[in-house]
Amino acid sequence: MARIFGIDLGTTNSLIAYSDDGTPKVIRDPETGSPLLPSVVSFPTADAVIVGARAKELAAHHPLTTIASVKRFMGLGAEHVTAEDREHYTFAEGGNREIVRFRIHDRDYTPPEISALILKELKRRAETVLGEDVRNVVITVPAYFNDSQRQATRDAGRLAGLEVLRLVNEPTAASLAYGLHQQNQGLIAVYDFGGGTFDISILKLHEGIFEVLATAGDTRLGGDDMDRRVAGLLLEHVPPAARSDPEVVSQATAAAEAAKISLTDAETTTLELHVGTVHAVRQLTRAELEQLVSKTVDRTIAPCRQALKDAGLAPEDLDEVVLVGGSTRVPLVRRRVEELFGRTPHTELNPEEVVALGAAVQAGVLSGRHTDMLLLDVVPLSLGIETVGGVMERIIERNTTIPTTVKQMFTTFVDDQTAVDFHVLQGERELARDNRSLARFKLRGIERLPAGMPRIEVTFMIDANGILNVTARDERSGREQSIDVKPSYGLTDEQIEQMLEESIDHAETDVSARLLIEARNDGDAILRATRKALAETAVDAAERAAIDAAMVQLEAAMVATDYNRIRDLTDELNRVTEPMAQRIMDASIKAALERKRVEDVA
Amino acid sequence: MGSIPTAAAEREGATWPAGERITCWQCGAEHAPDLFCPACDAIQPFPERADYFQVMGIPQRLVVDVEALQKRYYELHRRMHPDRYQTGAQEARVASLRNTAAVNRAYRTLRDPIDRGLYWLMLHGESLGANNNRVPPELAELVFEIQEKLEELRAARTRNGAAANLAGDIAAAHEELVQRQDVLMRQLERSFIRWDTAAADTATLMREVKATLSALAYLGTLIRDVEKALET
Repeated sequence: MARIFGIDLGTTNSLIAYSDDGTPKVIRDPETGSPLLPSVVSFPTADAVIVGARAKELAAHHPLTTIASVKRFMGLGAEHVTAEDREHYTFAEGGNREIVRFRIHDRDYTPPEISALILKELKRRAETVLGEDVRNVVITVPAYFNDSQRQATRDAGRLAGLEVLRLVNEPTAASLAYGLHQQNQGLIAVYDFGGGTFDISILKLHEGIFEVLATAGDTRLGGDDMDRRVAGLLLEHVPPAARSDPEVVSQATAAAEAAKISLTDAETTTLELHVGTVHAVRQLTRAELEQLVSKTVDRTIAPCRQALKDAGLAPEDLDEVVLVGGSTRVPLVRRRVEELFGRTPHTELNPEEVVALGAAVQAGVLSGRHTDMLLLDVVPLSLGIETVGGVMERIIERNTTIPTTVKQMFTTFVDDQTAVDFHVLQGERELARDNRSLARFKLRGIERLPAGMPRIEVTFMIDANGILNVTARDERSGREQSIDVKPSYGLTDEQIEQMLEESIDHAETDVSARLLIEARNDGDAILRATRKALAETAVDAAERAAIDAAMVQLEAAMVATDYNRIRDLTDELNRVTEPMAQRIMDASIKAALERKRVEDVA
Repeated sequence: MGSIPTAAAEREGATWPAGERITCWQCGAEHAPDLFCPACDAIQPFPERADYFQVMGIPQRLVVDVEALQKRYYELHRRMHPDRYQTGAQEARVASLRNTAAVNRAYRTLRDPIDRGLYWLMLHGESLGANNNRVPPELAELVFEIQEKLEELRAARTRNGAAANLAGDIAAAHEELVQRQDVLMRQLERSFIRWDTAAADTATLMREVKATLSALAYLGTLIRDVEKALET
């Protein structure tokens, strides 16, 4: 069987890993060596896509055509979009009860489509590095993801041409990586604070079985929220009229993220923003940062208490606490976790890589390579159906081990009724309207009988991915009962098929578009460097003529779309500027050496 | 809980109805219900009407050694979990999924004495029915007192008044409720043992179990309410 890969599809960064002879490894970008692929997608033109580090660079200057943190929108409806979201994204106008759509260059994109572009980039990375096809994958999701969010993730995989064999909860995956690392036994808490989501899972490890006892979290809480608070501080130094300018907001957010990261080690840093005539500079100390983000960090405490309570444990019962996710690098987060659990948390494994490594371990389990390990996970939220009066009747309690099934009997209310509707919800609240709507089901083709006579047995199954499957059977005849599903905020199979067909049509143009953009970027970079060098360095007339000719040719090629020609001419310009570059290099070395000598003397 | 050893029970294995036969989906061999086909070793779906005791492969007894049950639970998962059949035939994948779901449900029910007792009532065509919401007579006085305190606490909080004293009283009452719960749990366990060892006057015993379970159900709800009031 072909190899199975493990993918961490993160809010801020995504990774792909695989397991070879039992050791999981993250696949690095062949050019930069980075294991992280920024989860950012940019559309320079209507039919060109850039994913990753370059897209992240573009985000600061082209915020309206760039999508970051798409994971926050997976499985959501248009009505869940907040006013704050509207400052960072452009949405297509859509009614309530419809999936969120982003509008870019007059085209609409659903969150699974954007996520699929990130997955495709990871697939390409792995294929380039390993020289083999990537098809079968395990993708991780926040443990607290509801059914719609999980479905959306699986849809993204399908749209990327991947076979999603399993969705694994991120904290559970991390525990697998740790378990492999340390052969732990006992009770552990995994505190997973990422770019956009927070999870806490309590696990019991016993002879290779990883049994989740309870999980809780918040799927819209993460490092992004900290960045927004810090960006808000910087924006106070910007004229009010410019504060809602998307480019200003986007640069402020980028500056905030950089400042947060640097304050992990430094005590003080500078926030800076320069957009056109708008400039803002502000010093930020770690103490100030901690004050700004403390509310965000404190919001992780209640889910931790909830999970402990559901597991029937007190903090002191735990044997280990493990930190996962980039946000756990923030010193305040570590202090809070230590206070809450009364012990120093584990950080041996890189918190940004550990989930992907765990996904690769689970991939190994599924391919039969790790037969000594087994995951028993739970459903994070209760599942129920809406009853008369708008109350939710729970049929599956949260923290039930999956897979799990429940059977429920349905009947008719009036004579000769041939169809019965029911509404499936997920959440912990009493009233149906306070919980998340998952889907509406319609049992059709019921035999015409007096009211209350038909008996339709409906089976609700939550599979090992945490995804609901519903089947129905007429109890009397034993026949399968036909059932229509209308997901509340998901894509139907037909929509996915259509998107797949469209993307196959565009597959060739997609690749060409990407190659063209890369070639143009490279060309752009050398043109800029050459102009700068020419302004600062003396060159003789013959050399200058050769350089000018090469520049003119490259500039002309870049307007056209033949990326091979752009590449060739970029190489040519590189060649003719080589002697000049060498002279600049020599001069700077000489200058450096002279400085050194002066210092030696002094 | 559970002082009666179930080692013997483990040896007895699955307690399927005598004479039941199933046909292996893979090789067609007819065999007595078992997790795997004795001829070709393919995973077999549990019969639809298997009860939770049969699913876990333990005898239908009210006293259960929870530690042994957990060991059995892990063992069943190791052998039948969907992760083990990812690359297998469709029938094997379906059987694995269904069986694992059944094992999860059976384990969750049987490991908890109250849930086990309620399930056992159901197997005997009984249920708590309307008794469920009535205050058990022996608890009436305590319940009345606590309800009054909770009411005062809520009133004090709406006035933003000092509720520390009341909270202290309620915490003490909570303590007493938990103690009563312990007593009832021990009573339930004693009834379980009597049922398993001597099924003499089953009608009386059944009434006793129902009364205890009923009181426990009531206490459980009350304790949750009190805890919620203390939290907020």
